[in-house]
Amino acid sequence: MKHIKFLVLAVTGCFILSCDTDEFLNPLPDTAVAVDAFFQTDADVLAGVIGIYDALQGVNENTETNIGRVNRGVQFEHLLTEHRTDNTRNATLEGSKSDFHRYVVNANNVESEDYWASMYEVIFRANNILNFIDIANEGNRAKYTAEAKFLRAYAYFKLVRLYGDVPLVTSVVGPADDKAPLFTRVPKAQIYTQIIADFQEAINVLDNTYKSRASKAAAQALLAKVYLTQASPNYSGAQQLCETIINGGGFSLMSNYYDVFYSELNNEIIFAIQYESGNAQESQSFSSEFTSAVRAGREDGQNIVNTNLIADFDQIGGARTAVSYTTVGSSNEVAKFFPDGFDVNATPSYGPNARNAGNDYIAIRFADVLLMHVEAVLAGGAATVDPAALNSFRRIRDRAFPATAPNAITSITKEDLLLERRVELAFENQRWFDLLRFGVADAVLSAHAVEMGYVFNTRSLLLPIPSREINLSGGLLTQNPGY
Amino acid sequence: MKNKVNIFRKPTWLLLGLVTASFMLSCVGDELFRDDLPDANSKVDTVLPSSDFTYAPDPNDFRTVKFTNNSTESTIFLWDFGGGDTSTLKDPTYTFEGGEGTYQVTLTASDANGASDSKTIDVVVEDLFVPITPVVLNGDFEDSSNNWKINFSNGWSNNGFESSSDGSWLLYDGTDNGSKTRGAKWNMRRSAAEWTTSDTRHAYQAIVVSPNWEYTLEFEYAIKDDIATDPIGGRRFVAEILDGHFTDGVDAYNQSQAGGALVTHVGTEVKGKTTFTTVKVDFTSNASGLISIWLWAVTPVDLYADNVKVYPKL
Repeated sequence: MKHIKFLVLAVTGCFILSCDTDEFLNPLPDTAVAVDAFFQTDADVLAGVIGIYDALQGVNENTETNIGRVNRGVQFEHLLTEHRTDNTRNATLEGSKSDFHRYVVNANNVESEDYWASMYEVIFRANNILNFIDIANEGNRAKYTAEAKFLRAYAYFKLVRLYGDVPLVTSVVGPADDKAPLFTRVPKAQIYTQIIADFQEAINVLDNTYKSRASKAAAQALLAKVYLTQASPNYSGAQQLCETIINGGGFSLMSNYYDVFYSELNNEIIFAIQYESGNAQESQSFSSEFTSAVRAGREDGQNIVNTNLIADFDQIGGARTAVSYTTVGSSNEVAKFFPDGFDVNATPSYGPNARNAGNDYIAIRFADVLLMHVEAVLAGGAATVDPAALNSFRRIRDRAFPATAPNAITSITKEDLLLERRVELAFENQRWFDLLRFGVADAVLSAHAVEMGYVFNTRSLLLPIPSREINLSGGLLTQNPGY
Repeated sequence: MKNKVNIFRKPTWLLLGLVTASFMLSCVGDELFRDDLPDANSKVDTVLPSSDFTYAPDPNDFRTVKFTNNSTESTIFLWDFGGGDTSTLKDPTYTFEGGEGTYQVTLTASDANGASDSKTIDVVVEDLFVPITPVVLNGDFEDSSNNWKINFSNGWSNNGFESSSDGSWLLYDGTDNGSKTRGAKWNMRRSAAEWTTSDTRHAYQAIVVSPNWEYTLEFEYAIKDDIATDPIGGRRFVAEILDGHFTDGVDAYNQSQAGGALVTHVGTEVKGKTTFTTVKVDFTSNASGLISIWLWAVTPVDLYADNVKVYPKL
């Protein structure tokens, strides 16, 4: 042991040199991407911006069935919207997916919980990008910021209409930060103020380069809808925004209604969330779930068409009817989103990738803007004969009834407009929000519930705040009445 | 000690003694027979009922109000609508027979422990129906005959009238302009009825009003003079409200000729150029609320019209 002093010296030296004990004891796995380390270049920030869309896109249920591991993004949205209207219902009464159309959703509903989580994931990712925006090239910073804020506004606009007052989070809340902002419900008016500011910024900064990413026109169209929706609607503001898009010339109606849904990012699409056929990571499952007779999806069928919607199609559907729904055996199913355009007659039925379909989710399209234009001119009134509004309405009608075009439209009542929207935008997750905006949700759905034997009350107009969030909040987050 | 009587030697006595002792030692009273589970680990209910509600009038009868119970942590409800009427339903519907007014409605929400909360809201019952005031486009004829045209399948002109600079001195809002405004003009060539030609002109505008409601059609007209021969029925300006909207002027004309208009006013005052007569004529709208204004004239001399308005009867 005569070399002990050298040994001691060596060991001591090692300790002194290996300064960072924290990192030594908690090594970062080689495969991990740590947030702080990830954002190094402009390209990384751009990747982060694109990543926000990924949260909206969600993960196909066929790729990862465990809902605890992933979010579905907008892939469950039809359950929270169409199923809760008079448009559609679930094929069976099994499981939490069948709770929506009967108004028996409870606070533990996993699909509602997933949608909430998906939208807050969008918000988190958007807020996170804003933290690292200085790493981007100076010329791109404003654009990336506006894009992130557009998506944040998009998510909040969905949340505030489905859940009412929700927590307003506009910056990243870390593990060490005060949790109160994550769980404090903020009055709807304040949420709308934030949404309007975010969409405004997107309008000022963005151009119309993209349709599958945020654009000026998308922000204008969505802001118009916000103006029409907020507690005291800004009809003139909405009208101006719609006219800017209509007169801007960048968008037009597809002459064939079929092409709207099967020719992706066509002239009519203002903003869509894209999916890729056959790619397990980038495809969607909702198309296959809309099939019931053949069951190309995992379940027994969702978005089964109610007879009173079919009656409206018979009345004013025209060329839209065959494109919108189909009858397979005795089952009335959505035809608008056949997986990749394949129908039941293909081999195999619904094509080779039915469960990994690539149909885009259409967030907003030009026809919606034309009808919003009419709505803005109506300005809450009972009817209008304004020539510009009649013209916008006629464009929708002429496509549906080309044989009699130009169709005579002498006036448009509020009821006419709501009916036209129901048929034109069926299964595009608009009806729920239309009923709320037109102030007729309670009356229409009460009557629908009586017809179908469901129990509906006014409290059903808001979804429950997910129990999981309330439990995590330590008493901060409150539940909506009736849940 | 051998004389001591050991009563415990017999098992029966031992058992009896034990049971008696345990009865005496254990607490006496009815709680002896009570299951103590409900109290074990139970906590005081700190989340107490909170009463709240909203209300909305029935779309068909404003006096009938639908109440929506937004109370939390409660299962028993008592509604007091005032005047002695109550309900224990969760979401009652109540008709305020008294009609318009403010009524205090109280909801008491209780839970099974007897805790309760009350909330009183002033329920405002009012008739929110406001008849539509239609906008007559270019009603002052400042913009020539725009908005007053309809096509005729029989080839008649779709130009509603001749635009003129000899309209009323009044602006559309009724204030004096201090000089002439623009107006609409008819003459012999533009006349209808017995003087009908392909140059005949009818002014048409579709408007929407509230169904089955009383309205007033207002306009001004002036006939230049009484020179020249009168047509059958006299020189006149005719203003009508037609039943429905039309895409072909011939259909509108036919309804007018058949006497199917909701109201027809024939103006025959001859006061001279720019001396206008203001006419207010009342009518009741049809069941659809879709009506149209129909203006025409039969006159050998210049005839002017201006400031056409339609509004709910005052």
